Amino acid sequence: MIRLERSMITDLTGPAVTPQAVCAALQSAIELEHATIPVYLYALYSLDAGKNAEIAAIIESVVVEEMLHMTLAANVLNALGGAPSIDQPDFVPDYPGPLPGGVESDLTVNLAPFSMTQLQTFLQIEQPEDPLDIKALAAASGPITIGQFYTAISQAIAMLGDGAFVNPPRHQVGPDLMPESVVVVNVATAQQAINTIIEQGEGTLTSPEEVVGGGYAHYYRFMQIQKGALLVPAPGATPPWAYHGSPLPFDPSGVYALPTNPALAPYPAGSAQAFANDNFNYTYTNLLFALHALFNGDVSEDRFNRAIGLMMSLKGQAKAMAAGIPNPAIITGPSFQYQPVNPATT
Amino acid sequence: MSYLNSTRLHFAGRFQANVSTVNNDPAHFDNAAFKSSYQDMEGPHMRPPNGWFNPQGDAAWRFLGCTVTSAWTPAGPVGSGDPVLGYIVADSDRQAPAKLVDLDSEQQLVSEIWGLQVRIATADGTTLLLADFEPAAFIDIWDRSTASSGGDTIAGAMYQSVLRNLQWSDVSASAFLTALQQAAIDGVLSIKFNVDSFNLDFTSPDFMTGRIVGTIGPATLDEPQHLVFGRQFMATSSAQPGNFFSPAGGINFCVGVVDPVASCIYLDLGNALATGAGGAINSQGDLTLSVYDPLLSPPNPAGGMMPIGTIPATGGGGYASDPTWYAGTAGIVVLPISATLLPMVQNSALVLSGATAGVFIAEPSGGAFVRADRYVYRLSPGDTVEIPVYAMQWGQPLVGAEIVFPLDPSQLQPGSGFPYVAPSPPVAEPTEALSFNAGAITDHNGIALLTLTLSDPGIPRAFPPTNPPTSIANRSIDGQVYGIRPGFADSATFGGPVNQWNFISLLLWSGFATATPPTWDDLQPIFQQYANLYPVMNRFLNLGDYDSVVANAHLLQLAFALNPADPNAMPVTRDLSPAKRNAILTWLQNPLPGLAVTPPVVAPAVTAAPQAATAAAAADAMAPSAAAPRGGKAAAAARRLVLQSK
Repeated sequence: MIRLERSMITDLTGPAVTPQAVCAALQSAIELEHATIPVYLYALYSLDAGKNAEIAAIIESVVVEEMLHMTLAANVLNALGGAPSIDQPDFVPDYPGPLPGGVESDLTVNLAPFSMTQLQTFLQIEQPEDPLDIKALAAASGPITIGQFYTAISQAIAMLGDGAFVNPPRHQVGPDLMPESVVVVNVATAQQAINTIIEQGEGTLTSPEEVVGGGYAHYYRFMQIQKGALLVPAPGATPPWAYHGSPLPFDPSGVYALPTNPALAPYPAGSAQAFANDNFNYTYTNLLFALHALFNGDVSEDRFNRAIGLMMSLKGQAKAMAAGIPNPAIITGPSFQYQPVNPATT
Repeated sequence: MSYLNSTRLHFAGRFQANVSTVNNDPAHFDNAAFKSSYQDMEGPHMRPPNGWFNPQGDAAWRFLGCTVTSAWTPAGPVGSGDPVLGYIVADSDRQAPAKLVDLDSEQQLVSEIWGLQVRIATADGTTLLLADFEPAAFIDIWDRSTASSGGDTIAGAMYQSVLRNLQWSDVSASAFLTALQQAAIDGVLSIKFNVDSFNLDFTSPDFMTGRIVGTIGPATLDEPQHLVFGRQFMATSSAQPGNFFSPAGGINFCVGVVDPVASCIYLDLGNALATGAGGAINSQGDLTLSVYDPLLSPPNPAGGMMPIGTIPATGGGGYASDPTWYAGTAGIVVLPISATLLPMVQNSALVLSGATAGVFIAEPSGGAFVRADRYVYRLSPGDTVEIPVYAMQWGQPLVGAEIVFPLDPSQLQPGSGFPYVAPSPPVAEPTEALSFNAGAITDHNGIALLTLTLSDPGIPRAFPPTNPPTSIANRSIDGQVYGIRPGFADSATFGGPVNQWNFISLLLWSGFATATPPTWDDLQPIFQQYANLYPVMNRFLNLGDYDSVVANAHLLQLAFALNPADPNAMPVTRDLSPAKRNAILTWLQNPLPGLAVTPPVVAPAVTAAPQAATAAAAADAMAPSAAAPRGGKAAAAARRLVLQSK
């Protein structure tokens, strides 16, 4: 379970909570949700889908929901009159490093090809609160969980009340563009959006199943890989689910030899790897720019489709880089760095 | 107005054109004969040819590291105090990269850039101008490099287009950009760039990239977009025609614009001067621009040349001696014209000659030129299209001239023999599918209209039947390609050298109907062909497989519904007819399976080129010079009908 610095919610408690404090927390939420995406994508790109198709599908399904969570957090932030900031250099975390807001000593997140070791990082990011730990973690000091972070935001929003919301709805990316999204206009819809984030990540206290979306929560999806079998209902068992479904084997030979944390050993200037990596990072930065525009008022199908197009371009580029295309002797892992010009200036 | 203007900037850098090459062989369109090896990297010297030199290309077209190298106003060169000299020219920073697209497997010599946005930005990427590049095809491809390596690597070509939807940020920091913004009175700019030094070595970091040097200036809406209304210098072919075109006088087709008020000429030599090792401009001696004096010439032709000015080859700023000359000028030279010569210049032929013997290019003696502005069209049965053709003389509209529109398939490229796995289908038939006027008279703007009405060509490019027979839908290239070459009816008055590349290329799609509602049986051959020809799709789905297509229906609906001008439009090749596109979109809403049993499709994983490719590269380095022309353009050029008939 990942733990966040308590300072993330310090300003969210008490009757004097301000919209500004909630907006700051929501900006942190956007950064946190985004920060997981390169980590998951890097593992996803490293997989030869011909050999590890099911694992790839699980990771991809989680990535899609992390993007939804970014969107939901942005919707709530916009509904409170805030402005998501996605296009700045410091929006992109360093890898290796802690997740934004994370307790640094807890978890250093690497960009690494998929492995059972890297899977532990995924599980750690997504692990729900262990009921046995609730008491300790609910103390007024010490780190908090992601679930507690979102719960604090939700409670603070309730304190603010419906009067804090901008009317008419502002800059909302709705379900017409992104399935399962929520148009946020008041406390109820804001809490609906936040609950979707919590439950898709952690599940509920009584079930691994998502309320919205219909799959299992992320932690349980990843646990299927760890257990080597699909999670299925097990009537009569306690709890009534078991990792007894179809086998979910991991084929280590179906992983491309991507470097871990490519930013630590930058590709030599002028190399084929630098060329491919720069093209990727420029596209990635363009995606952040496109999302920034989308979340800051340009909520159009055209803008949304261009963002989707950038995501597809990233996927195509990364898969070629990982697979040694065009030169089988050259494998490149995308470093996910902020790069507004192409090639990167040194 | 055009980029050939007193207000203009030049830029230089590199570009990427990551085209895919499986479709370079028209026979690869035959689904029934397709082999999975056609998606692999070629072997040494194309043995085996497999999927040619870049089967995994994604068609991306990018500006790479392009910087503004100089800028000019009527007052002269912009000084270092103007920040524009530190700016960059870049592509979009919020949409996917543009795409480079052939018209057809049998007309690969008019590749167009689609979905390009052009930015002028500060060095850190902050956009000052964002604009849409009107899709345009290259022209005037020639054997530019005299360095030894062959194929596409020696080619040079140019693109000219306009930038629309100009979105200016605050450009007040740059007096030049302020002037450019004010000069763009119609909200459009003119852009032209030259491309050369393309790299085809897949082991090189520069693979599928080349050099780009260009110019941006103002434009107006009442001018052609891809053509300069100017003085057209016409090359003739040397006895050794080369891969693409080899000018007898050593200088390729080029254009100039005379400014009678400023009494000067803007001469664009950007795609006209040959290069040597490393892309350096070859010296052909000092170049002298002259005007032909008809009064002097009859008794003494040699004495009929009145020199206007000289373009030095040597010294500081020499076109061959100064390594910064090309990047800094994009090959554009401005020469003053004396008051004495100006009247003669305005109605007599210009001649450019070099101190080196034989170096020569000139306007035709009648000073006339005719060309379609846009010269690449994709059309459907039932369409009617009016194609404006511009006639000019001495750089002015040529009014009342009769223009004729003969069919001319000579530059189209059906192929057979190595490296093609089977003979290509015939081109340019049936001609009955095209109905158009035989000629037209130019109006007061020098424009003659070619009016085309299209009917269904049937399926003229089916591959021969096999045993067991397979459906024709599974075994053909859609539609047909044609060429029409506008020319002057009065060739005696307006004669002169003909630019082989100056013709209109048409892709006319076949009619297409499906069951109602359409089923997978109707569409599988279409999807299968794309799955075969564009291995890049394997990174996303197996287009030949019903379940895979259905699982990705949502994204496919999005991509197939996009405007072709969108960089993410499917298919990337822009060679899907509207009829088939609509059928696909209809089917994706209700993806009914079919009844036919389709053979299991070999869906290659996203694997690299086979290990053999590495060995192939090593062998390539040791082998004697290639037997096959290296690169798609050189191969296509080598199979033009005009060469087959010789």
